[in-house]
Amino acid sequence: MPNCSENYESEISDGKNIRSITCKFCNSVILTPTSASFTSFEFQLPLMRQSKTNEQNPESEAVSLFWSVGDMFTFQNVGFSNTVGNNKYLTCADCEAGPIGYHDIPSKISYVALTRVLHC
Amino acid sequence: MAKKTYDLLFKLLLIGDSGVGKTCILFRFSDDAFTTTFISTIGIDFKIKTVELRGKKIKLQIWDTAGQERFHTITTSYYRGAMGIMLVYDITNEKSFENIVKWLRNIDEHANEDVEKMILGNKCDMTDKRIVSKDRGEMIAREHSIRFMETSAKANINIERAFSELAEAILDKTAGKEPGDPIDRVMVDRRQQSNTTKSCCN
Repeated sequence: MPNCSENYESEISDGKNIRSITCKFCNSVILTPTSASFTSFEFQLPLMRQSKTNEQNPESEAVSLFWSVGDMFTFQNVGFSNTVGNNKYLTCADCEAGPIGYHDIPSKISYVALTRVLHC
Repeated sequence: MAKKTYDLLFKLLLIGDSGVGKTCILFRFSDDAFTTTFISTIGIDFKIKTVELRGKKIKLQIWDTAGQERFHTITTSYYRGAMGIMLVYDITNEKSFENIVKWLRNIDEHANEDVEKMILGNKCDMTDKRIVSKDRGEMIAREHSIRFMETSAKANINIERAFSELAEAILDKTAGKEPGDPIDRVMVDRRQQSNTTKSCCN
């Protein structure tokens, strides 16, 4: 059986998320159905786990599929990190796993990476 | 324009001595000897949580003091706009309990006077290390007419309930307000409401 959350095309209808978006680790609900818009561009998102020997220079990966949210209070449950440059990173509000995405301070838009959450 | 997805927005603060577990609330994604989580290195600024009370969808924006308490620099700017405050002590740490009175004074000095408060005795899972009895917590809360609860962020005891109760207390005070309403309109609404209440009671 294919992993439901990796078949992303079937998660989008009219550009919105069909199902709830939840944390991979604790199932906390991050976004309710149809509350976010699909968008695609490339962004270097830091990895969730970092080696302690390399704290000054965190490792990241290119991520390109996002759910975008224009009003932060659209989130059902989410954490915002302290500011790094123009961004705040997004975390699970319950277990604090992250970054699951980032918030762009100038535009006030938040982006949740499809690969770092579940769709249930 | 997107539809509004909530009815009310409450700003809440977590206050208390360092080490009482304010930031540990539900911290399950912990570090080990060789790796650290990216998030724990940069720290969390605030959280948004949604609760549903009396059919209303309420967004809670929860702020942590982020270590400012160590330098006693918690002043008016931090308290600005706060509608609820969770005052946290550690049941295994006498000093953190004694300092609750100091925090209450700080709140009186700097916060809005009608801010809703709640005292939390955290780490209630650590029964063998308990120093502050539940009775003493209840007593200090009663003295100051504040709600009280013992919690464990680690064992996830009463955390959700504490936030719901605090939100409910704020809801009682703010019934009728809409998010984003200008202050003057809120006041007009309030006046109208109290008039209505009066007339229906008479």
